[in-house]
Amino acid sequence: MRSLIRKYAGKLHRDRSIAQGRVGIAAQDDVMLSEGAPDLSRLAADVLSRLSCLGVVAASPSLPFAGFLLRRASAGACAIVPLDTETRTFLHDIPIVRREELAGDPARAVAALLSNRKGVIAEGVGIVASGPVTLEQAYIHYSSVFHAAFVKYLLDALQAGFVLPGEAEAFRAFRETFLRPPTAEGLSFRAGPLDDPEEVLSEIRAVGRYTVERGLVDSFFGNISCRVGETIFISQTAASLDELAGCIDPVPMDNRSTTGITASSELLAHRRIYEATGARAILHGHPKFAVAMSMLCEEKDCPVKDCWKDCPNVRMLGDIPVVAGEIGAGGLAVRVPPVIGGPGKAIVYGHGVFAIGRNGFEEAFRSMVDVENRCREEYFRRLDARARGEYSKGSSS
Amino acid sequence: MLVVDLSSGRMRREEIPPEFLRAYLGGRGLGVRLLRGRHTLSPFDPAMPVVFAVGPLCGTPAPTSARIEVVSRSPLTGTVYDCSAGGRFAWRLRAAGLFAILVEGRSPRPVVLAVTSAGEELLPAEGLWTKGVVDTVGVLSDRGSVAAIGPAGENGVLFSSIMMGEGNAVGRGGLGAVLGKKNLKAITVDGDRTVPVADRDRFDRARADVLRLFRASPVIFGELGISEYGTPALVDLMRQRRMAPTENFRRTVFEDSSAYSGPAIRAAYGAKKEGCFGCPIRCKKRASDGHPLPEYETVSHFGALNGISDLHAIIRSNDACNDLGMDTISAAATLSAWGEARGRFPSPEEVGPLLHDIAHRRGEGDRLAQGSRRVAEALGKPGLSMSVKSLELPAYDPRGAYGMALAYVTSNRGGCHLRAYPISHEILRKPVASDRFSFSGKARMIKIAEDTNAAVDSLVACKFAFFGASLEEYAELLSGVTGEPHTPQGLKEIGERIYLTERYYNARNGFTRADDDLPARFFTEAGSSGEGIVVPPIDRARFGEELTKYYRIRGLRDDGSFPDDGFLERQP
Ligand code: SF4
Ligand SMILES: [Zn+2]
Ligand SMILES: [Zn+2]
Repeated sequence: MRSLIRKYAGKLHRDRSIAQGRVGIAAQDDVMLSEGAPDLSRLAADVLSRLSCLGVVAASPSLPFAGFLLRRASAGACAIVPLDTETRTFLHDIPIVRREELAGDPARAVAALLSNRKGVIAEGVGIVASGPVTLEQAYIHYSSVFHAAFVKYLLDALQAGFVLPGEAEAFRAFRETFLRPPTAEGLSFRAGPLDDPEEVLSEIRAVGRYTVERGLVDSFFGNISCRVGETIFISQTAASLDELAGCIDPVPMDNRSTTGITASSELLAHRRIYEATGARAILHGHPKFAVAMSMLCEEKDCPVKDCWKDCPNVRMLGDIPVVAGEIGAGGLAVRVPPVIGGPGKAIVYGHGVFAIGRNGFEEAFRSMVDVENRCREEYFRRLDARARGEYSKGSSS
Repeated sequence: MLVVDLSSGRMRREEIPPEFLRAYLGGRGLGVRLLRGRHTLSPFDPAMPVVFAVGPLCGTPAPTSARIEVVSRSPLTGTVYDCSAGGRFAWRLRAAGLFAILVEGRSPRPVVLAVTSAGEELLPAEGLWTKGVVDTVGVLSDRGSVAAIGPAGENGVLFSSIMMGEGNAVGRGGLGAVLGKKNLKAITVDGDRTVPVADRDRFDRARADVLRLFRASPVIFGELGISEYGTPALVDLMRQRRMAPTENFRRTVFEDSSAYSGPAIRAAYGAKKEGCFGCPIRCKKRASDGHPLPEYETVSHFGALNGISDLHAIIRSNDACNDLGMDTISAAATLSAWGEARGRFPSPEEVGPLLHDIAHRRGEGDRLAQGSRRVAEALGKPGLSMSVKSLELPAYDPRGAYGMALAYVTSNRGGCHLRAYPISHEILRKPVASDRFSFSGKARMIKIAEDTNAAVDSLVACKFAFFGASLEEYAELLSGVTGEPHTPQGLKEIGERIYLTERYYNARNGFTRADDDLPARFFTEAGSSGEGIVVPPIDRARFGEELTKYYRIRGLRDDGSFPDDGFLERQP
């Protein structure tokens, strides 16, 4: 258990989602274990002692966005509702708890909310998340809340500007010192096409790790595959892209075996992309600026209410197609394959990027980097235009 | 609730105390509560009740929630026993204006209990006695949904089941024999009442959330998932994970299992989708000619466990068990234990006649009707019964999933996979993956899952829903239906109460830590290693240590007993 606590604290540091040293993790077996910053690990343990869960993560995020969202929310609001697909599907909404409600017994207030949701934003504390089945789940839920808050804040800042004291300064610091442009430099890829299964597995493991290390996806999300003849080697569902050893399923193209029942929920999308494009490799991640930009539709008077799943249009961000569609059996597997062949990449509304390699992973990886960098540029271009009073359009609904 | 005294033929509808529903929800929890006071009676004592109960979500469009729980004490295991079944029975019972039926006593002659929203009656059933389930259901089909026993239940086979007319079974613990002793051949239910939903918006939102999670789950709606192939989708997976029990658990890989895999069954029989009432997953499969196709456990146990790869023979075994009203897992596992004891597993040709002999208690079948523990003991080889608390283990070898190993022994109804269902995370990676070859953290994971599933069985929802959704969304559904707020944490606390009540009943019936144990084979013999996967025997010391942790987490003493006698009195 202790080694697991350290493992997830390390991952949170490495993926830069927590402020240096500001994490507490509690895990419970027949005894309670907790580690980290004393105030946060005490809070984590106190919260966990009130829940039927395996673990709790309490941390101050590396960026103040979650806190800003909380303070920007209307006085009566008890949750924020990010509109990205991740939140829509898994979190539903993110409860917020204000400083006054935390006075006295903060663990009680937080536990009450966590008894019904996977993660909460607590003013002055940060994000607290629980793991009902495993400790890893608490880490995953923390990451999900961090990701959802990040994307929502980008959108809110673009639409409503900065409203709180200190916000503009914090955002400038984020832009100038926190952000590092993702790049493929310094990484080595095997030239495709790959044929030897051992080589394929090792390349998938390496590229999965790159994708996390270069910030294109939070460890737990995304998926990756490679086609060799009539077999798709694909990461398993609920696998961490930076820990894929033993978590890659070989799935026959013709479904003659169901071993791949544990494969990624996007197996169908991958299979159809292979069929439609002749690609050899597919990479899927959730880079944040691409996710945010995909949600900025400028269509006026559109009758579609749930854009993220029901939008029938192919929108272009430069040469990058953006389509809507739910995870899994819900729709993205229908809308992505027809559009991805030409440009080699596509964004799914509020969700993430698919990129293909006609030979190996290098092309896919570089495409994804390119999509994120261009979305970043475009985001800041619009933000700057807004600051100059030129930009006022766009909606995220 | 309808209370039926079969001895006198008196029937009355009475209110269920509202505090029971608050504290136990319905389904399994309600049944367990209603057993209190009679929980130490012998399963065949006429006064032992059998409770059929639906849950608060039944009759609403909550996904997978038209399920019934049947609760009594098992003649096979001696434990408190409950089993959940789908089909239409639960929904029609609710439509008849009932939340539960409690039958007690013993009818002087065979009867059928016929229930409608207009009232209920006991019909003479001499003409149905000795008939198979298919014929019985056929005769009664114009009376709505049917739950019936077959010859196995009439003849007291200890693993006889109660069959739902749609082909779903209240299987495993022999509750068919309990009804048989009561001379109750069948229950029919029909009605036209509807169930109100207090907060429609809240309910609809939660329902949309659930369906979205189903679609995002590869296990449920993935192209290789259970909606496409039914549970036999697991055949190939268990083969690949090297944990498919083979030849009475002597090995864990059966080379020929692809003969009865999900795709193989579909190729041979068609596998039309069918579901329990109102279930979007529709994991049940029927052949093109309409008859129900078997589940994973059934194909694997009539297959690998007996060394049989003949798909048609396996399908015939399933059909025979369904018609005779007998549990497929226990039947196949008992044949397998007996096969190992006599030095030869039954051939595909022998299985059919043996199943009939069991149901009719003829020849060797009379002994086999007692289940594998009693058979193995009678043959002087008790170690060959692969059971826990006399309940035969299903088709997940515990050497391949340590949470499963622990959960088999902590299960209150004996060797069952569904109480904590760790296969979900250890193998299917839902909602997240856990390390199947590690005991670390498993005690608490199992405890929480047992509580969660006790609540799920009381709602009553289907375990398969939780390959996608979680209690979070189901608590919302419940809040929508009742108009009162419910949380996952609150539901787990109800689940804990139910779980401990069951364990308390078992303790009163003499169960101790010594009964919370796996067959010795798993600690001394390795599984079939290969393809980079090593399947060693389970480390007994480490297993014992984790079991002790489990007891502590449950608030029990290290020997698994309750710290005091006052547990029941403190419960509502
Ligand atoms: S998933 Fe299968 S067993 Fe469960 S309710 Fe649906 S059809 Fe019935
Ligand atoms: Zn994704
Ligand atoms: Zn017969």
